[in-house]
Amino acid sequence: MAAPVKSMDKPPAEFSPLNFTSFQKKSRTKSLSIPGTRPSVQNGQLLVSSGVTSLDYLLGGGLAVGTVLLIEEDRYDSFSRMIFKYFLAEGVVCRHELFVAAAQDDPDDILQELPAPILDDVAIHRPGEQPRMSCEPQDTLDAMKIAWRYQNLPKVQSALASSSRFGHYYDVSKTMEPEIRQAAKWHRFYHPEHPPLSSGTHSPKLESYSALLKSLRDVIQREGFDLTAPLPKSRNILRVGLHSLGSALWGDDLCCYNNPKNVHALTSFLYGLRALLRTSLSVAVVTVPSHLIQDRALMGSITRLCDNAIALESFKGSERETNPLYKDYHGLLHVRQVPRLNCLASHLPDHKDLAFKLKRKQFTIERLHLPPDLSETVSRVSKGELAGAATAAAACSSATSSAKHLDF
Amino acid sequence: MLGNAPSFTMLSELLQGTDVGGFLLIQDSCSYSGRHLLKSFIDAALNREEVVHVLGLDVSEEELKEGLKSFVFQRLHFHDAYADPLGWTDNSPFTVHQFSSSRLTELLKQTAPSKPATLVIDSLSWVLRHISPTAVCHTLQQLKKGGAVRTIIGLLHEDMHSRGIVGSVCRLATSVITVEPGTKGEEALAKITKRSKSGKVTQDEQIFSIRKDLTVTVLSKPTNPGHKRSTTEEQVDPTANLTFNLRLTDAEREAKEKLALPFVFSKEKKTALLHSGPGSGKILYEPDASDDYDQEDPDDDLDV
Repeated sequence: MAAPVKSMDKPPAEFSPLNFTSFQKKSRTKSLSIPGTRPSVQNGQLLVSSGVTSLDYLLGGGLAVGTVLLIEEDRYDSFSRMIFKYFLAEGVVCRHELFVAAAQDDPDDILQELPAPILDDVAIHRPGEQPRMSCEPQDTLDAMKIAWRYQNLPKVQSALASSSRFGHYYDVSKTMEPEIRQAAKWHRFYHPEHPPLSSGTHSPKLESYSALLKSLRDVIQREGFDLTAPLPKSRNILRVGLHSLGSALWGDDLCCYNNPKNVHALTSFLYGLRALLRTSLSVAVVTVPSHLIQDRALMGSITRLCDNAIALESFKGSERETNPLYKDYHGLLHVRQVPRLNCLASHLPDHKDLAFKLKRKQFTIERLHLPPDLSETVSRVSKGELAGAATAAAACSSATSSAKHLDF
Repeated sequence: MLGNAPSFTMLSELLQGTDVGGFLLIQDSCSYSGRHLLKSFIDAALNREEVVHVLGLDVSEEELKEGLKSFVFQRLHFHDAYADPLGWTDNSPFTVHQFSSSRLTELLKQTAPSKPATLVIDSLSWVLRHISPTAVCHTLQQLKKGGAVRTIIGLLHEDMHSRGIVGSVCRLATSVITVEPGTKGEEALAKITKRSKSGKVTQDEQIFSIRKDLTVTVLSKPTNPGHKRSTTEEQVDPTANLTFNLRLTDAEREAKEKLALPFVFSKEKKTALLHSGPGSGKILYEPDASDDYDQEDPDDDLDV
């Protein structure tokens, strides 16, 4: 008996060396059909694309509605900001509503910098695609003279991608057209616009975070995202983006001191945020400047309070920039936590060493693998040795170079 | 990014002050004082006919004005917070508690109502000692966004504060110059990080020295032995000194390429084998109604 393949949007059955199946579970229940979402293959959760297709694959198909994604910022906040903008841009393209909160930049400015979507997705070239009948046999056959039977097998696909068109691609060099942007409905919270009402009240919460949580709750209840209220006819998803929580501009001294006064401010906010999200049709992305937070235990609690957590480490400015192993990439990506939503075991990414690269049309997250070592004079240097050589080179370069020649 | 045109280095670009609405932070430590560089920036701004306000907390007015030319002093306004920063006497010209964006904007508007002025803070470390870092960051951010200030130039002693505080202040800055002592006497090393509006970060390292008249000469880039790429050694050609010939002449190479390999098929046969045609046993399956077996609803009669 063949497995029934019933799909809503006919994805092509591709041969994929990775464990992604094109199986779509047939369900009779009236699930919420909201544009831009799809049910998860593993546990039936409603998923939303994060804007970056590789990140969707890493997180088990997408972000589950009602969860929080924590992004630990890189040193100069360039790539985490990019992922933040991708998330909001995906919301605009899928016609979701947005809620943007920031303390440093005006949310209007953030929205104006959103990348432009590439709407004709056919133009994306992927190396491991199925052979198309219409393409000239000339160039494909001349590519391999002797091993021509292996012509059409996909090359080692190190870029993580999923098969159906769930997320969109964006062109970073262009900003989104004002018409597309203005068609989206959005709400803002700019911290300097909400001055503290009363000072000197000793409470574990911080004024800025309470005001933010109140504002978010008002938006959710007013606009009908609340699941406890009676359902209106058409439902939509609210995408919440909170930029740089915990930084000094929110009034939080988490980043400044080893023993901050407001230790529980951010953690109680995240607790309240998650409770709010679980009872509403929303997804949140929170960025935190974790490289400034000195207390690692606090960082651990912040990670536990969010569902998904990833950390970005950019090579700019560190000694890894000149490491030849990392020359193709812009930084490393660490997956700190993956959620277990209504199930016992979570979907873990198969590879732990991940590196990312921001290309013009794509933010790729790839498995970090050593390139084949073809030259015979160079000894096989492992990752650890390379890193050791880079740091020890300043000390006594002659010693390390002689060690390299010891290959048997 | 190390590729800069030789005549236009990042340090000289910053000295020219084309960056409006930014916050330039000079970080120094006890091994090399950044005040000389700060004075060069003040000098460059004054030469460009800008109005400069200096909040002096670290050193006295005379010491700061030393070396600057006297005819520019009408554009230089010094707010003395060195003598009495905490306001212990009743008539202190400026106290640290007046470091707020409203008070500073008022101060700047008094002297230069039309043109936005350049604000120099010497140094931020003194302010951070007495006012909480969150308030200082808040003030700096508001000054950046408000229109009263053209640029803010601040000096920060990074060894006086914890990493978190230094990091939080650096986050607000559009450019950060970290100065360190150089290898030879008068020279110093500057590590510059510049963050543009689009989020692009450029970094550079330059050796510079400051002359008596406060002009900065940018010298060559530092040659870092630690980061030097391994020089490719001359590959020894193993086919050089042999008794038999391993090389091919052009004619021989042509003949070699023309030779047909034994199991090479013609192009038509290859395409036929690669894109297998309809007769080669492909299984086509169309699921029919009886195949949709739903475990939860075996009789197919539930109306859900």
